Amino acid sequence: GDSWGIFTFLCAALCNLPALPALNCTEELGAGQSIQKTYDLTRYLEHQLRTLAGTYLNYLGPPFNEPDFNPPRLARAERVPSATVDLDLWRGLTDNARLAANYRAYSRLLCYLRALDGQAGTAELRHRLGHFCSSLQGLVLSIAGVMSSLGYPLPAGPAGPPASPGTPVAPNDFLKKMDDFWLLKELQTWLWRSAKDFNRLKKKVPPAVVTLRLEARGF
Amino acid sequence: ISPAADPAVISPQDPTLLIGSSLVATCTVSPDFHLKAEDLYWTLNGRRLPAASYAALGPTTLSVALARLNGSKQQSGDNLVCHSRDGGILAGSCLYVGLPPEKPVNITCWSKNMKDLTCKWAPGTEGETFLHTNYTLKYKLRWYGRDNTCQEYHTAGPYSCHIPKDLALFTPYEIWVEASNRLGVAVSDVVMLDILDVVTTDPPSDVHVSRVGDLEDQLSVRWSSPPALKDFLFQAKYQIQYRVEDSSEWKVVDDVGNQTSCRLAGLRPGTVYFVQVRCNPFGIYGSKKAGIWSDWSNPTAASTPRSERAAGGCDPKGGEQNTTLRRELKQFFGWVKKHAYGCSNLGIKLYDQWRVWLQKSHKTRNQVGKEP
Repeated sequence: GDSWGIFTFLCAALCNLPALPALNCTEELGAGQSIQKTYDLTRYLEHQLRTLAGTYLNYLGPPFNEPDFNPPRLARAERVPSATVDLDLWRGLTDNARLAANYRAYSRLLCYLRALDGQAGTAELRHRLGHFCSSLQGLVLSIAGVMSSLGYPLPAGPAGPPASPGTPVAPNDFLKKMDDFWLLKELQTWLWRSAKDFNRLKKKVPPAVVTLRLEARGF
Repeated sequence: ISPAADPAVISPQDPTLLIGSSLVATCTVSPDFHLKAEDLYWTLNGRRLPAASYAALGPTTLSVALARLNGSKQQSGDNLVCHSRDGGILAGSCLYVGLPPEKPVNITCWSKNMKDLTCKWAPGTEGETFLHTNYTLKYKLRWYGRDNTCQEYHTAGPYSCHIPKDLALFTPYEIWVEASNRLGVAVSDVVMLDILDVVTTDPPSDVHVSRVGDLEDQLSVRWSSPPALKDFLFQAKYQIQYRVEDSSEWKVVDDVGNQTSCRLAGLRPGTVYFVQVRCNPFGIYGSKKAGIWSDWSNPTAASTPRSERAAGGCDPKGGEQNTTLRRELKQFFGWVKKHAYGCSNLGIKLYDQWRVWLQKSHKTRNQVGKEP
């Protein structure tokens, strides 16, 4: 109810930004707030993903929806950007690198999510997926907003083609199910990691305006 | 770390099968993995298949026999998986077991104000094919060659499609639905219709329900004809339905004709009624067929005047006083709304004025004489 209201507003606001430089006018005040908003978005998406993943894995059928399911990660699965990173490496990331990693990852993940079979599945599943993709798009824009307000350039190049050369689309339906499983898993891991990334950024960027409003409404 | 080749290969890969059929599948392990046929086992949808159904067809090939398959557990296909002894997944194959589609039936269509066409249908008997079934609605003008495909699905339920524009009048359309899945295609019978025969419209606007003077068993209903069709030559039929506030049983008034007002009679005094009106635009441009009823208008509420009971008029007993007072207050607020026009000077003076008015009308009514 409440959270969804805030979120719809955020998405509408973010998606209607004609050009990101418009954020520059409130640069000093904006960064702290933007980081908080982005943090809240990742928590919201994490919550949404739980329901989406549950529904999607049930659609894939057992063993994919079994809690202890642990398939091998075949070489082909590397096309999905991994959130797993060495601890020291992670702590040593500059703000720019940290934000860029998040931006690149979610842009790619969004592409792959959108490519999930749109034809098959129930209407309910397609609807949930569509909804989640919109939310994820909002997150990508929010991260871009933070980068812009801190004066960092957005990572160059397209947001990641669904199939880069060398890693073809799954050759059979079972492997495609495995890819889908790993996509959802990586999405989950990234959202856990991003919450920590943005928490770290919150502490480093001096918040000129402390936003109590969003913090008071826990997700 | 993972070798370039897949650990194993299953055959057949992702087959489509009819319910009740049998299947023998084989799993051949890649030589890089140093596994033998006896190190393997099979699961179907997460459940281990009995070893009795296995057969080693070679040093690195294990087969499994599946008999009389049931329809797929999920539309994404049953998961048949070849495992190594420690449980690791070597390969998998999705089995699509089901039935070919049945002919879609009961195609019904309607056009909103002749601007568009929405059709819905039902899948053939039961509709459970266990496989994902795609429906395509197609249409063409009779006597013209080109088939068109409807693009906007699920607008009025899961089996529906909406054609938003470029519709022609005066020539009938041929409409049909094709159902297809992995096992085959089924085409419905062709329905022929003229847009002018299936027109529906918006519910009537500006529905007002008011009292008829002091008459305690009547209410007057007025409405406007739907604006979207005001430029078209058509006859309208209206229907009214009404119910008392705390009942779910609607009474329907059918013979309203094409008036835009009606008087409801035989009602209970001092009762709140909910009233709805709907419209049927038949005879558009001389069409002989009945149109399609619009949705009901949003319910409008009104109350009949309260009758004065001869017995309870003067000195009600203690217990009764509360109910009488409550009813009076209810009537009072209704009266205020009608006469005070949003006046915010609600207070005891206004209430007293109303009591005076009530006494006067009570006297008048008693003079006229009470009906049973």
